[in-house]
Amino acid sequence: MASIEFVRVSKAFDKQEVIKDLNLTIEDGKFTVLVGPSGCGKTTLLRMIAGLDPQTSGSVLIDGKDVTRIAPGKRGVAMVFQNYAIYPTMSVRENIEFGLVNNKVGKAEREELVESIGKAVGLSDYLDRKPSTLSGGQRQRVALARAMVKKPSVFLMDEPLSNLDAKLRVQMRIELIELHKKLGTTFVYVTHDQVEAMSMADKIVLMNKGVIQQEAPPDTMYRRPSNRFTAQFIGTPPMNIGELGAGGIKYGFRPESAVLSEVQGDEPFSVRGVIATREMLGSETIYQVRSDSGNFMVKRSEDLFAAGQEVFVGVAAEKLHFFGEDERRIEEKQGAYRDYLEALRGRSHG
Amino acid sequence: MTKAFHYTGLTLGYLLKTAILIVFVFPFLWMISTSLQTYRETLSYPPTLMPAVPQWINFAQAMSAGPFLTYFKNSAVVTLAIIAIQLLVMIPAAYAFAKYRFPGKNLLFGLVLLAFMIPGQVTFIPVYLMMADWGIAKTLLPQIIPFMSNAFGIFLLRQYFMQIPEEIVEAARLDNAGEFRIMRKIMVPMSMPALATIALFSFVSHWNDYFWPLIMTDAESIRPLTLGIAMLRETEGISNWHIIMAGNVVLVIPILLVYLFCSKQIVKAFVYSGIK
Amino acid sequence: MDKQRLGETLRPYLMIAPAMAGIFLFVLYPVVFLGYLSLYDYNLMNKAKSKFIGFDNFAEIFSREDFYKSLSNTVIYTAGVVVLTLLLSLLLAVWLSKKSKFNVFVQAGIFTPHVVSIVSIALVWLWMMEPNLGFLNYVLKALGLPTSEWLQSSRSALMSVILVSVWQGIGYYVLIIVAALQSISPSIYEAAALDNANKLRTFWKITLPMISPQLFFILVIMTIGSFKVFDTVKVMTGGGPNNATNTLVYYIYENRTTNIGYASATGVVLMAIIALLTFVYFRLLSRRVHYQ
Repeated sequence: MASIEFVRVSKAFDKQEVIKDLNLTIEDGKFTVLVGPSGCGKTTLLRMIAGLDPQTSGSVLIDGKDVTRIAPGKRGVAMVFQNYAIYPTMSVRENIEFGLVNNKVGKAEREELVESIGKAVGLSDYLDRKPSTLSGGQRQRVALARAMVKKPSVFLMDEPLSNLDAKLRVQMRIELIELHKKLGTTFVYVTHDQVEAMSMADKIVLMNKGVIQQEAPPDTMYRRPSNRFTAQFIGTPPMNIGELGAGGIKYGFRPESAVLSEVQGDEPFSVRGVIATREMLGSETIYQVRSDSGNFMVKRSEDLFAAGQEVFVGVAAEKLHFFGEDERRIEEKQGAYRDYLEALRGRSHG
Repeated sequence: MTKAFHYTGLTLGYLLKTAILIVFVFPFLWMISTSLQTYRETLSYPPTLMPAVPQWINFAQAMSAGPFLTYFKNSAVVTLAIIAIQLLVMIPAAYAFAKYRFPGKNLLFGLVLLAFMIPGQVTFIPVYLMMADWGIAKTLLPQIIPFMSNAFGIFLLRQYFMQIPEEIVEAARLDNAGEFRIMRKIMVPMSMPALATIALFSFVSHWNDYFWPLIMTDAESIRPLTLGIAMLRETEGISNWHIIMAGNVVLVIPILLVYLFCSKQIVKAFVYSGIK
Repeated sequence: MDKQRLGETLRPYLMIAPAMAGIFLFVLYPVVFLGYLSLYDYNLMNKAKSKFIGFDNFAEIFSREDFYKSLSNTVIYTAGVVVLTLLLSLLLAVWLSKKSKFNVFVQAGIFTPHVVSIVSIALVWLWMMEPNLGFLNYVLKALGLPTSEWLQSSRSALMSVILVSVWQGIGYYVLIIVAALQSISPSIYEAAALDNANKLRTFWKITLPMISPQLFFILVIMTIGSFKVFDTVKVMTGGGPNNATNTLVYYIYENRTTNIGYASATGVVLMAIIALLTFVYFRLLSRRVHYQ
């Protein structure tokens, strides 16, 4: 078990700086998910922890110890790769025990460990098979077993579920959450999928262009996005954003925060529009409403309206978000917040 | 009508292809037949296709014309030593060229390719003088060490290594495997087809080699089989074709047997090397 | 820089060190040494008596008739082998390219001579081409055709050597062209058929351009390979009769003991020719070659 600390870390590839002066602490025993669009530097961070692509400057600390000079195999970390990186010429058993052999673990102990891990991940019957004979889900388990057997203090996972089909992915998500609970080890998980991040993380670290946008537990991330990027990255469909008109201030609301009605309500935000499209997804319906203030996505659990119908879109005050010119969130306690709310009410049109 | 035409064409095709096949295989049959004939039979007209009584003694006579056991041993030692040394030298080099980034890599790899283009027919004089200078001209070494770096093999193996996903190497590093362990346990087992191709290639070309040993061997004791057989014409007289062909059979049979049993792999190896 | 970091930096260099040592020692240094030797009147027995003579060896080369004879022999040999092999192997490959067991068998048969030592090939053909008792003349006579002196006449010797080389090498090139032909996607032919292209046109406009990289590769290695011809000549003719089959490498070989400086200078010339050929090929032909 260990915490991880990045201290003023920079990383450049071929003189192109990907990450600059980054500071981050990953708490001991937590399930931390690094999420962001591709090229945001999340995998780079993960590989720095592993020591596969050491940082250009700054230091990485595992459990308070600077690991900059420590080889990947001696950092006490294990990693699950996106393509699993299973050794194709070795049997499942050899795959799992490779790290143990390298660490000079005795034969009897090794066998015991492999057997028990094999049982834990449900591979007992496959230990002597070659990986090529296994299904995608089974290979995933081999990769997990190979990581678990070393009893690492940090588990690193680089998009481990992206090669699985949708159904298996949901199942593995649950299994990983359970695994984390059982082991209580630090998990660092990289994904570009915000649903994965939301469902699994104790804490999400959202990155964009090498810069951390927000670190928070999923609910905070969702309810109080600290900037416009976070607001629009988390949640599907993304948060609706509109121009307030003055000073580059923008307002925003989540699709499910809006109410649709045939008559105008008294919400601070209320505009008239026409339903352009309607997607009926079963448990919910997503409308796209075209109005003079722009297009808004609205998600409702009831299915009352049809395309082409004229409706009012209303959003309650506590469901509204404001973002400044610097894209940062404007908190309710800030003085200007009231003014913006009023400005918005003034712009409501019927 | 068209159907009949089609079948005639098909039969004609088979016949022609068989004829082609005969053109390429007959000389070897002719060699074997001659090696079993008497001297008189080789002189007869029309030529004797099948000897009346197989003359196995021809082989004994051919083999007594020189120290053929030594020749055979030399050929085997030289060929196997070359393959072993080449693999030992080639694997780490190909691994470094495929999986490492280091200053000067492209230049050094360029030199490997350049070496691939410079034939032994150009360098044999200076290499021979070097060998004489080092005082090893009377050993088997001049036939072995000049081939320690197989430029073509390094190139081929590097291509193969490059196809192995980076993550597998990284996973092994995270599993605390040293670089030599990664080579031995992961890279080598994963590139067996390429290694087999290269080894097979080396085997065929060095077992058959004539030019290099001709230059490098002053003494009888270090000659390989190819030289010994070629010299039969001088030792046994140029018209004793039955003896010369008997010696030739001894030279050809091992490689023909290998070819007969793994023609598929050999053909694949040659095609692979040609296309890459 | 500490020890660990130094070790990591040096590691790749250590890994390639043996290979690079071999290449420097047995290929690159000898080339330099060859250049050095070519400028000397080199005395093998007593190095102290070796004399620097500048480009005299080269001047001698270009004034000696036997050099031009061996050069022209080599050029004729190369042209003959390249043209015959390319045409025949293309023909055979197209004919044998359909995937069938019999075709694979025939290909394997044609390839057989390629895995056998040239010494054996040369000896067998020497016997086949024997003017009085040889099988070839017997067949020619039986068919009522004029016989040939083959290797024993200066008129037919070079042609005979060319024949043997083509016979030995062709199987390899057939294999490569067949592999190239089989790698062309059938959908291209289907598209051509839909465009109503006839077979000949399809061959010229689609097949040939598609396999041009392999044909180009064959052309380069065949030319360079042919310029190095030695074994066949050494075993079959010894350069004769009357220098009719004396080739460049054989010429160098013959001079290697008596006149090392001169032989080395000829070696430099051979290397220059090979380099020039490679360069010209890549410059001129690569533009016309279709690469995917």
